Amino acid sequence: MSYIVPIGPYHPALEEPVHAKLYTEGEVIKEAEVFVGYNHRGIEKLATERNAIQTLVLVERVCGICSHSHALTYAMAVEAINGTEVPKRGEYIRVITAELERLHSHFLWLGIACHIIGHDSMFMHIWDERELVMDLLEKMTGNRVNYAMVTIGGARRDISDDLRREILDACDKLKGPLDRITEIALTDKTIAMRTKGVGILTREDALRLGAVGPHARASGVDIDVRRDAPYCSYGDFEFDIPVVDSGDVFARVVVRALECYESIKILRQALENLPAGPINLGNKLVKIKEGQAVARHEAPRGQLSHMVVGNNSLTNYRVSIHVPSYKNTPTVPHMLRNNTVADAGLIIASIDPCFSCLDR
Amino acid sequence: MQEYKRIDITKDQIVPIAERMRKNNVYLVMIHAFINKEGQMDISWDYAVDPAVESYHVVGETTVPSIGEIYDVAATWPERELNELFNIQFEGLDTSKRLFLPEDMLETQGKGQIMVTPLSELVEKNKKEAVQ
Repeated sequence: MSYIVPIGPYHPALEEPVHAKLYTEGEVIKEAEVFVGYNHRGIEKLATERNAIQTLVLVERVCGICSHSHALTYAMAVEAINGTEVPKRGEYIRVITAELERLHSHFLWLGIACHIIGHDSMFMHIWDERELVMDLLEKMTGNRVNYAMVTIGGARRDISDDLRREILDACDKLKGPLDRITEIALTDKTIAMRTKGVGILTREDALRLGAVGPHARASGVDIDVRRDAPYCSYGDFEFDIPVVDSGDVFARVVVRALECYESIKILRQALENLPAGPINLGNKLVKIKEGQAVARHEAPRGQLSHMVVGNNSLTNYRVSIHVPSYKNTPTVPHMLRNNTVADAGLIIASIDPCFSCLDR
Repeated sequence: MQEYKRIDITKDQIVPIAERMRKNNVYLVMIHAFINKEGQMDISWDYAVDPAVESYHVVGETTVPSIGEIYDVAATWPERELNELFNIQFEGLDTSKRLFLPEDMLETQGKGQIMVTPLSELVEKNKKEAVQ
């Protein structure tokens, strides 16, 4: 018997609106389609009427979880057009915020994955640890989301010496819980049974379909913008890029858990060697010079790029935002094939989708 | 700072460049478009040739070949987006399904309304429709 099973746009297993159509034979999915666009807000169009500072505020609202990534990438694109040299301390503060954001995003996803798997005690445990990171971000920036830490030409707020030591202490504090979480994720039978061999994306498919970020690294593709095209002083730090070959949902759990260790490694180096000096170039409203630039940043979910065209005026001529979920969502139908309907929610969630990013 | 190289090409170089890039496992970052100051369409194919971004521009064309055969969904999604927002025709692209815009909006207002019309005009138009 063949059925068409619709999932969404609003569904308990999905945090954001997406519509999937599953063509099934009994329990097995034979073909799948994904429909997006339920959150299209026309942010690219709105950005053409705003100046650089207003656009920073606007692009931060593209996504709630990786808001710093958007502001950072837009600022990098404008700085590339204008040829602005950012002070070293400003760059380090940007890196610290970006890595704290990656930590909280990965904790969030690991929690949600455990919730969908049915391991709710693990979900609560992980989100408890996430609060430690969220408290640090709140203390540093004043907000739990939309940090507003970036300005054109540097960082908006400084990190005091007390706060610096507090974040370093928190890095030590996180080590124990992270070890425990990784151990449970790697050895727990419930997680293994629900995730091993489910939703496989092979290395060839990942390359052909253009998957990015932890999703691609779980399929054995070794890419990371932080290492391949260094920006914001990322070249100063030593870190590894975890790559797993199996390409199933289990591999995605492992890659994200291991990436948390690397983020802590980068945080520690950045905080210990935080250079003295100014954090930005003052609060003057800048003109965007004539020209075009693309800036890329490794957001928690993968490569994020902003294209900005300037026209020697205060407003943008064109802003084009290209997010990691834009690359990862089209791979979902390939992963759904020959899996059961019961696993569909987990497979869709396994790419860490962000549909408000995707629709813009 | 990341490097950005602008390279101007003609329409018939799009597919050979895509084939060469795909063979070397180079990522397609994005296909962008905007209307430049002379009122011409500027379409660019950005490839991540690390550590730089190589951007191949075609200016003044609104019908270009699709590279969906080479890059699969990594190319067809941006192409469908540009088809909806800018009304650029990609030869060989399946545009029977909507991507971002609602179906009723595409039927009544047509493609290319969003990014091509200035925002002030869109606001005026919406005001008039609201009054009626």
